[in-house]
Amino acid sequence: MIEHDFDEDFTPIAAELQRLPYLSPSRGFADRVISRIDKLNPSVALAPVAGKRHLELEQGGQAPIRRRKVGIVRVAGTAALGVALVTVGAFMFMGIDILTAILAAGASQYALVIAAMSAEAGALVLGSETIGYLQAGALEAVLLYLTLAVGLLGGYAGIRTAASIARRKAA
Amino acid sequence: MPPKSYTDISDQQVVVFAQEGREDAYRELIRRYERPVYSLIYRMVRDNETSEDLAQETFIKVLNNIDRYRPEFKFSSWLFKIANNITIDHLRRRQLDTISIEGAPSAVTGESMRATAIAVASGGESPLEELESRELGASIEEAIAKLRPEYRACIILRHVEDYSYDEIAEIVKLPLGTVKTYIHRARQELREHLEDLK
Repeated sequence: MIEHDFDEDFTPIAAELQRLPYLSPSRGFADRVISRIDKLNPSVALAPVAGKRHLELEQGGQAPIRRRKVGIVRVAGTAALGVALVTVGAFMFMGIDILTAILAAGASQYALVIAAMSAEAGALVLGSETIGYLQAGALEAVLLYLTLAVGLLGGYAGIRTAASIARRKAA
Repeated sequence: MPPKSYTDISDQQVVVFAQEGREDAYRELIRRYERPVYSLIYRMVRDNETSEDLAQETFIKVLNNIDRYRPEFKFSSWLFKIANNITIDHLRRRQLDTISIEGAPSAVTGESMRATAIAVASGGESPLEELESRELGASIEEAIAKLRPEYRACIILRHVEDYSYDEIAEIVKLPLGTVKTYIHRARQELREHLEDLK
């Protein structure tokens, strides 16, 4: 019984208020509430996953794949590359004439040396006969260029596939 | 060690078991408070379906945050506080007006009015006493329905749930003085409404 802190004429109303019956929700109310409690229904807790920032990916019941850690060297390298690219960009934008002049001077002065070095490197990799063939500019040379390009792309694709298979087996 | 029965266990202890993830503890908290919470909400919104939705929302919110419960407060106060907030928010959104004891505002047919009207339970009296009790009970319900929602919450918490002024102030998040004023005015208005009905 609560403290009597009202006028006498309110007493019958207070008594009636105290006699007001409790009303019941419909049957199954508790079950409906329980079905929405995260702790008891982990699937409910997982439902609004769209809002979570760091999701762990499940793969066929295997252990979750951890987020790859970004190393300090990687960060520093990316930053350095970014700075270099911005610098070169700025230089090219602002001093394109100077760059052209330097490159032209270098090319004219060392043209013979560059050509000789390229030929040496080419001969080492492809063989002197192939280089001679390419320098001839014949139709066969064009075919050879195409074969080299297809070979390079095919090799790259092969390496990627092999790496992917190896990763899957390791998992 | 979980108990065989929760009957003699305090709310705080049941909450501890619920915090450990025991479903029977959650069910016990719902069993203890589904009727008081539903009744409070119903007397504020006067619509069965809406009351059920709001009561469900209240329990889901409270039980999903059971780990945040602070045992220095009464569990029931926390529960009523959430119920009151959810209901007041709903009323503000819908701007529901006070309505008649005959049924919810949405009730337009006789059947829907009967379905949404308040059913006053019998207290084992004689048919005449029961009729009088039903009439008086219905009059009180009607008078409560005419109060402002804030007054309704305060007067129900004070006279139906037996809360102190301090606890009501905590539940409805209003200054103590405002709560006292609301209850005083609610009593005055109830008296006037019931005089009119005589």
